[in-house]
Amino acid sequence: MIEVRGVCKEFERSRREESAEGNVKKHGLFGKRNASVKDGAVQAPGGQSKAKKHKVRKETFLAVDHVSIEAYEGEIIGILGPNGAGKTTLLRIMGMLMSPTEGDVILTDGEGREITELTHKKAAIGYLSGNTKLYPRFSVREYLQFLGELYGFDKERIRERSEEIFKVLDMEGFADNRIEKLSTGQTQRASIARCLMADPQVYILDEPTLGLDILSADAIIRFMREQKENGKTVLYSTHYLEEAQILCDRIYMIRDGKIVAHGTPAALMQQTGTDNLRAAFHAIYDDTTSVHVQ
Amino acid sequence: MKKIGILIRKEMLDILRDKKTLVMMVIVPIVLYPLLLIGMTLVMSSIMSTPEDVVYRVGYTLTEPAQEQNTADGETVQDGRNEAGTEAFVLTEEGTIKALAEVMERNAEEFDADVEFVLLESDEDAAKMNAVLTFRKEPDGRMEMEISYDSTETDSLHACQMLEDAAELYRQDLVAEGLEKQGLGEEFLYPITCTSIDEVSEAESFGISIGGSIGMMLIVMILMGALYPAIDATAGEKERGTLETLLTLPVTNFQMIFGKFVSVAIIACVTALLSLISLAGSVLFLIFGVAEEMMGSLGFSASTMLSALPMLLLTMIVTALLSSALCMCFCVFAKSFKEANNYVTPLLLVVMIASMAGMLPSVELDQKTVLIPIVNVSLMMKQVLSQQFDFALAGVANLVNLCVSILIIWFLAKMYDSENILFADGFRSFRLFGSRSDIKKGTIPDNGDIMLSVTVLFLLLIYVGSVASIRLGFWGTAVSQLMILAVPLLLVWYMKSDIRSLFSLHRPRKGTVAGSILLYLGTYCLIMVVSMALAALFPESMENVEIAFSPMTEQPFAILLFVVALMPAVGEEILFRGLIFGGIRANWIQKHPKERTSRAAVYAIFISAAVFGIYHMSLVKFFTTFLLGAIFACIVSETGSIYVTMGLHFFNNAISMAAMKYPETVGKVLPFLMKERLSVSEVAGLLAAGVILGALGLMLLRRGSQGSLGGDGART
Repeated sequence: MIEVRGVCKEFERSRREESAEGNVKKHGLFGKRNASVKDGAVQAPGGQSKAKKHKVRKETFLAVDHVSIEAYEGEIIGILGPNGAGKTTLLRIMGMLMSPTEGDVILTDGEGREITELTHKKAAIGYLSGNTKLYPRFSVREYLQFLGELYGFDKERIRERSEEIFKVLDMEGFADNRIEKLSTGQTQRASIARCLMADPQVYILDEPTLGLDILSADAIIRFMREQKENGKTVLYSTHYLEEAQILCDRIYMIRDGKIVAHGTPAALMQQTGTDNLRAAFHAIYDDTTSVHVQ
Repeated sequence: MKKIGILIRKEMLDILRDKKTLVMMVIVPIVLYPLLLIGMTLVMSSIMSTPEDVVYRVGYTLTEPAQEQNTADGETVQDGRNEAGTEAFVLTEEGTIKALAEVMERNAEEFDADVEFVLLESDEDAAKMNAVLTFRKEPDGRMEMEISYDSTETDSLHACQMLEDAAELYRQDLVAEGLEKQGLGEEFLYPITCTSIDEVSEAESFGISIGGSIGMMLIVMILMGALYPAIDATAGEKERGTLETLLTLPVTNFQMIFGKFVSVAIIACVTALLSLISLAGSVLFLIFGVAEEMMGSLGFSASTMLSALPMLLLTMIVTALLSSALCMCFCVFAKSFKEANNYVTPLLLVVMIASMAGMLPSVELDQKTVLIPIVNVSLMMKQVLSQQFDFALAGVANLVNLCVSILIIWFLAKMYDSENILFADGFRSFRLFGSRSDIKKGTIPDNGDIMLSVTVLFLLLIYVGSVASIRLGFWGTAVSQLMILAVPLLLVWYMKSDIRSLFSLHRPRKGTVAGSILLYLGTYCLIMVVSMALAALFPESMENVEIAFSPMTEQPFAILLFVVALMPAVGEEILFRGLIFGGIRANWIQKHPKERTSRAAVYAIFISAAVFGIYHMSLVKFFTTFLLGAIFACIVSETGSIYVTMGLHFFNNAISMAAMKYPETVGKVLPFLMKERLSVSEVAGLLAAGVILGALGLMLLRRGSQGSLGGDGART
């Protein structure tokens, strides 16, 4: 299982603020040009032109704000939220690509022992997002070969595992093509194959069905269901609420880095008095209070 | 280790499947270099060698009426010589022209082309000539001949040279004739003659003239070989979006960066090797094809070159490692190919200029230049080609370059964790690049800031400092010391850091001062033994030190004490024990809040001591200054006060100054200081004293600070 305990992530962003006229503070050695933006002459109501000075300040904010999540074996967890809510950052932290500013991500293996070594953690997680592209100059088979070697498999095991994956994902037709030659759907299946190779405990999938045709998307949904049946944990983010409604065991909704709703799809719908997840989503995001149901 | 191997294999495959890299790696060296070299030589030789049937046209104008003067006297004018004249020659312009033509004809084997003299009728004619002669008569009767020519045209240049040679021969004729008339011999004109003999062998001068440029070409080739794969493996991977995937794999940052580094270096090596082979091939072709005599006359011995070959290969490999590290250092920052290209441009410029060192005639590979990466390779290549190979220095140069590469890679792996490489713009580790108004009060400068300001300071010291010491002599030292003090203070001001806690500007903890002094004395004894040993091993370097210090002894002792003892005691302590030690320790503690602070202190002691050692710019002094730096940092850590080490540093420098200025007095008070060589018993005594004093001091120190290495002082 994977457990997120009070995780925060601090980011920097720029904010423009007006400073009192003639009171522009000294700027930094390198920040001078960027930091002070003269807007030139702004027409004041009185008809006189008046120079207003703006200043772009850097400030920190929490992209992920004290988030706690547990995901158990044999569960599909949906992470929903609008763009910029902090889903990707959260998933990156869970995928060990980023370290949280505060809080911990705890990963336990099948026997309930905590995994502490970073490389072991990475090996136990299958992470997939729109940004995890594959080496275009490799064929899928070569890629899996490379992965297998990195995970310490012997030759025989690499061959067997690759064949098995090709069969499951119906990839035999293009396994020896260079990845740069594949179509979108084929590439996404190759990415899934990459995640499958190490047979991880936890799958973290950031919008895996984005931009795919129905056949490819169905293949991926089938894959998630299979993994669930195999007792794996699947966490995934999506904007397709209908898909999430039928697929997810539990759902976390995120806004501005905070969890605003959490529960099974049915419970969320019941709580908001709606009959589908899309309506529930709207109800929750229009209302500012959080909803927590089990 | 196995994972690194797998990563390297993957990187190699990925890089080699890129056609652009292959072109850069194979086509460019194999095709372009020979083409360039042979083409250039052919063009050059076609310019240099003149066809034999060429006739240069030389125009001339006459300012006096032709021959009238002489015919009026009824004398025979043959070639401008006044046969009747006894005192001096009376030359005529036309006669001179004839005489020049005659001289050329007489010495036809020396003048490989013919010259046709043309009397100019108008200005337009002058433009068609290769050279134009005009004459002027001096009041004393001498003839002044002016040759106008165009130095950008080979024909014109050649014609001018021929005219000059002819005029010289004609002058010699005239002088010989005149002497004969006066009944004097040659010895009258040349009672003393002077011949200079160049002691440099042909091979040596070849090495200096050609070796430098070949060295530069090789270095640039290696850099170019490393550049493309380095960009591809870092910025390219980021641009293609495969880096995030790579980071999901169970590899550490170090494995990842090291794997990339080795692959880039392998490609760079192969490129360099191909370049070398194609270069050697072209040179061989030139020797046997075009310029056989020229190369043969140099007495090039193949055996000397062959003996240097293994070292040359090693040098190439190490240079490839260094260039790869340098390229990666820049490319890791970049998000795209384009950005990487921009970042690399300054690097290219610096490396190219550094690699020109071999072309400078007076710069040699010595104890100082061997420490400068790239420059040392360039100088080494010059040595190899002038067949004066110093294996020891070459080894040191390679070692230095290897160390620098490892340092860069280690630094990269430490500094750029996955988050920095992937999601930030690469400058997050430099707080200095932010606006000062955004910096919170009490910010600790990041390791990147410290590294950057120390690099800037070192560059300032090398350039401004050396100019200052040339202009101001002794006072240049004071300027350097002021810079050493100013840079840390400026940084700390900019970062709004808490200067007291960062620089340990506290009163020492109770009962630690005595321990510090004992520890220092013990170290001093040990350092004396070490430097004696080093002096025995490297005698020349010690002489250099003495020469460098000799102008100082002329200054009054008070000034000497101020500039050479007090200023470094304050400035260098603030820099090394304040900024570097204090800053690195504070950073470590901030980044590892759960670990024991003693680890931070040990880490910071080691780094600050290493920088202190490097700062002294001498391979021989490195060990002693490293030891001293480590002990000083340790004392700051234990006493919590920089004032203690300032005092000790002052004392340390003052003693050396006193020994330099008043050798006799110091020799009486502390005889062992002045001895050239120590006996075995004295060495043993010093060693024992060092160990005992050091141990005692350490014990007292630990008791004084309650055994908390880097304890409370560091937390505040």
